[in-house]
Amino acid sequence: MRASSLGPAERLRSQGRRLREGVIRWVARRHRDDGAQTTLGRDRIYILPTRAGYTLLAILGVMLLGAINYSNNMAFLLTFLLIGIGHNAIWYTHRNLLGLKASALPTTPVFANQPLSVSLRLEDTCGRDREALHLSIGEYTSEPVAIPGRGQQVACLSLPAPGRGVYRLPRQHLGTQYPLGILNAWSWLGLTSEILVYPQPVDPGAAHTGLGDQAGAHRRQDASTPDHIRPYRPGDPPGRILWKALARTGKLHIRETVAGGRDTLWIDWSSMPASDTEARLSMLCHQILTAEAEGRAWGLRLPDQTLPPGQGPAQRERGLRALAEFRFEPIPLPVAETARGTKK
Amino acid sequence: MNRSSRQHLPELRGLELALLALPVAALPHAWHQPLWVTLLVAAAILLRSWLHLRDRKPPSIGLMALLAAFAGGLTFLQYGTLFGQEAGTALLLVMMALKLLETRNRRDIVIGLFLGYFVVVTTYFFDQSMLIAAWSLLSAWLLTAALVQVHAGRPLERRRLAKHSGWMMVHAFPFMLILFVAFPRVQGPLWGDPQRDEVATTALSGELNPGDIAELLQDETTTMRVQFHGSVPPPRAQYWRALVMTDFDGRRWQAEGGQSSIELPQPGDSDRVVAYTATLEPTRMRYLPVLDYPVALPDNAEYRDNHQVVRDRRIVNRIQYDAEADLTRPPGAGEALSRSARERALELPPSAAPRARAEVALWRATHGDDDRAIIQAALDRFAAAPYRYTLQPPTLEGDVTDQFLFETQAGYCEHYASAFAVLMRSAGIPTRVVTGYQGGEWMQRGEYLRLRNADAHAWNEVWLDGEGWIRVDPTAAIAPERIEAGIGGLTGGDGEPMPDFLRRDGLGWVQQLRFGFEDWRDFARFRWESWVLAFDPERQRELFARFGLDATDWRDIVTALGVGFGLLAAVALVWSGWRRPRRQLEVPDRLLHRLSRRIERQQTGLGRRPHEPVITWTRRVKVARPDLAPLVDAFAEHYNRVRFAPARPDDRARHLTTLRRLAASDLRKPAADPPLPRTT
Repeated sequence: MRASSLGPAERLRSQGRRLREGVIRWVARRHRDDGAQTTLGRDRIYILPTRAGYTLLAILGVMLLGAINYSNNMAFLLTFLLIGIGHNAIWYTHRNLLGLKASALPTTPVFANQPLSVSLRLEDTCGRDREALHLSIGEYTSEPVAIPGRGQQVACLSLPAPGRGVYRLPRQHLGTQYPLGILNAWSWLGLTSEILVYPQPVDPGAAHTGLGDQAGAHRRQDASTPDHIRPYRPGDPPGRILWKALARTGKLHIRETVAGGRDTLWIDWSSMPASDTEARLSMLCHQILTAEAEGRAWGLRLPDQTLPPGQGPAQRERGLRALAEFRFEPIPLPVAETARGTKK
Repeated sequence: MNRSSRQHLPELRGLELALLALPVAALPHAWHQPLWVTLLVAAAILLRSWLHLRDRKPPSIGLMALLAAFAGGLTFLQYGTLFGQEAGTALLLVMMALKLLETRNRRDIVIGLFLGYFVVVTTYFFDQSMLIAAWSLLSAWLLTAALVQVHAGRPLERRRLAKHSGWMMVHAFPFMLILFVAFPRVQGPLWGDPQRDEVATTALSGELNPGDIAELLQDETTTMRVQFHGSVPPPRAQYWRALVMTDFDGRRWQAEGGQSSIELPQPGDSDRVVAYTATLEPTRMRYLPVLDYPVALPDNAEYRDNHQVVRDRRIVNRIQYDAEADLTRPPGAGEALSRSARERALELPPSAAPRARAEVALWRATHGDDDRAIIQAALDRFAAAPYRYTLQPPTLEGDVTDQFLFETQAGYCEHYASAFAVLMRSAGIPTRVVTGYQGGEWMQRGEYLRLRNADAHAWNEVWLDGEGWIRVDPTAAIAPERIEAGIGGLTGGDGEPMPDFLRRDGLGWVQQLRFGFEDWRDFARFRWESWVLAFDPERQRELFARFGLDATDWRDIVTALGVGFGLLAAVALVWSGWRRPRRQLEVPDRLLHRLSRRIERQQTGLGRRPHEPVITWTRRVKVARPDLAPLVDAFAEHYNRVRFAPARPDDRARHLTTLRRLAASDLRKPAADPPLPRTT
């Protein structure tokens, strides 16, 4: 659309949008990162009427005109009572946010193209019940959260899956319209939290049979290797407990493959049958998952990094993190912004 | 209508409460709306409730549009318009009900509830009683609770909603009061004639036609309430003049507004001056009843040259005004009567009352120039001849004066006043008829005078040179008790039926109780009307003036509002600080501090040092003051229980009570060896 074809309403709307963006930028400058935890003070709670608020204002205006026209004192009284309630709603709504302590909970890493769940812990320290708090990021909004006085509650937000990478939590918006819905109070939070998105696993064997055979050979070879038996340590996967040994000896034992030996599976960047970085990472991811599922020790070779062989959840996490971080500078999670700065 | 899942329910949370609040808000309209409106609203609400309970979807948009058009059409058929008080209210009610019926999402409920507030305010078109005010509070409370539930995001407990909504109303109350008092008032209306739809009220008529007031005399509704500031004049002096009638056509007396305004007479002796505040019901007329004889009037009233008081506009709302009267200062005292005025006050149609004129000629012959003797002769005639006072006089035909004076000889104030005026005019004494109110009922509760329409009265004023217009009440001659004790003092003479409310004596206890209740109700209504309903630009001006402010100056209004809200903010600040729940741990610490300070005062150096643990401190105290050992031990025990042991709330409270007692206990050393044994 050419600029000259913009209608006045449209131009006004675009100006409004620009103004809003300016305000958001200003606010963003005011509030930098909050770190892991923050308390909402008066200096960072904003409040504006909602559309319902303007509707009520119009209705009260008509009531007042009627009261004046008919010199009706009871109409004056009711109108003023409602004006009082509406005015006090500023205070009620503001208080619903004031003094709230918010902290970011660690985000569970996800694989690419899986929905992401972000959680904040909200805590009341003032002994007031809080109602209908909405956490939102971009255009995504949580279910209303209620917090009992001196209690805490977790606000969960489901975001659409981003691509592989390491992200920072984008600016969060904590808002409420409680109790009357005529005012919207909100605060922008800059809680920091790392979001890890692993590559989407892709079976390399499905694409290229050659490599699949190779991997299969590894597997067969490893299957013939005798296992190393050691006593159970907390944290060992239950799938590898020797139940028969437990029945015999009454003690827990674990079947463990020996790390670092010639049985070790090396998951190697250069051996992936793809030239595209993301495709290779996806295949590497699949291999790590397969190795972990089989309970084998494995090591990872990337162009800029080598992960020594190991096994278990920690090794899995290290490996997948390496894939997520591979040639990726942390950026804020890309989330679509709503057109309107305020939202339900 | 499809069966839907419960998925839409979170959005519609609060609908149940809205379905309760909206009918409550609309209920008072049932008495004023056509039946079909009431039925339609009830049907829509019942249908929506049923749909909600069965978890079904509301009717489709098309059907709703059809229904709305149908309801609008019905309203138009009924009223011929969609605007104005009655039609507008009917339309509002119907639209609110349809909005509720079609409610699909939260926004719909919110709009419905906002309309509910509007429905409450339209109630006042029809009724402004205290009962309606209370009902409005209930409605607003429920509507607000519903609004809270809609936005709560989870179902809240009833109690919590009720409390929350209630507190919101309480918090808004001071706002309401400040705005009510200080919001700039202008004299309505801004458009249209707001009173067009209102029902007619009974008021004094601008004409006096013997037989007219009778319907007023049966009417027990209150027309006016008066509070006296200072002394209360005796009943026989309580004449409230409203209309002055000089023109007589042989049958009817006609009131007129006077030619021009004149100055009020200066009040005489201050102990004769009576100051009062009157609350007058709307009369739709301009006259203002004032106590005889007015010496001070409200600003928007004028004293006319016929000694009648009129307001600058018709009285269409209940008004309140302050005025003063000097009981002993008849109008025109010390002045001369102009020739034209004298002629007007003597005018009689040539053919009127021949028999009366003949009689008066006899009196003149007897008494010569003595006007007072003539007046007395007329009053004596009423007292002596078989005249009687009755509220059901026979109808008069032919010449009303002669027929009343010589044949029927039965009537009430109007008959006597009219006949007396004719007699006086025949004798050449300028005379006029004054109508207004006389007597009234003294309400012990609230200490105010209540004048009903039944207290309407008519009397005369005769001109005596040098003395002015002197009041003569011929009714006092025939029925002095009417004047002394008001119309209630009449004992229905010849067993003629009297209106119920006039016969308070000799009634059964049920009626006595009823009248007792009536008195209470009138008192409450009086307070409500004089404090709330009668507050108008005039009253606001007076109130502002009391604080040295000018209610017509916006700067003073801003000042008043600023001071009001400033005070409110200060109170709110103090209150919120006071109400802030003390941190639970602070209480035992405060008590510890108090005890420590008291011990320190007994013996310097024995107070607890800031870093000192309680146990160390108590040990130190016990060494220095063994007599305090049980006290500090017990204190430390309970203190530690409260502070460090997780206790149930009631245990906590018990410990705190003990701590409080201990911290306040007597610390004096028991006098082991009293120097002087005390004798009792």
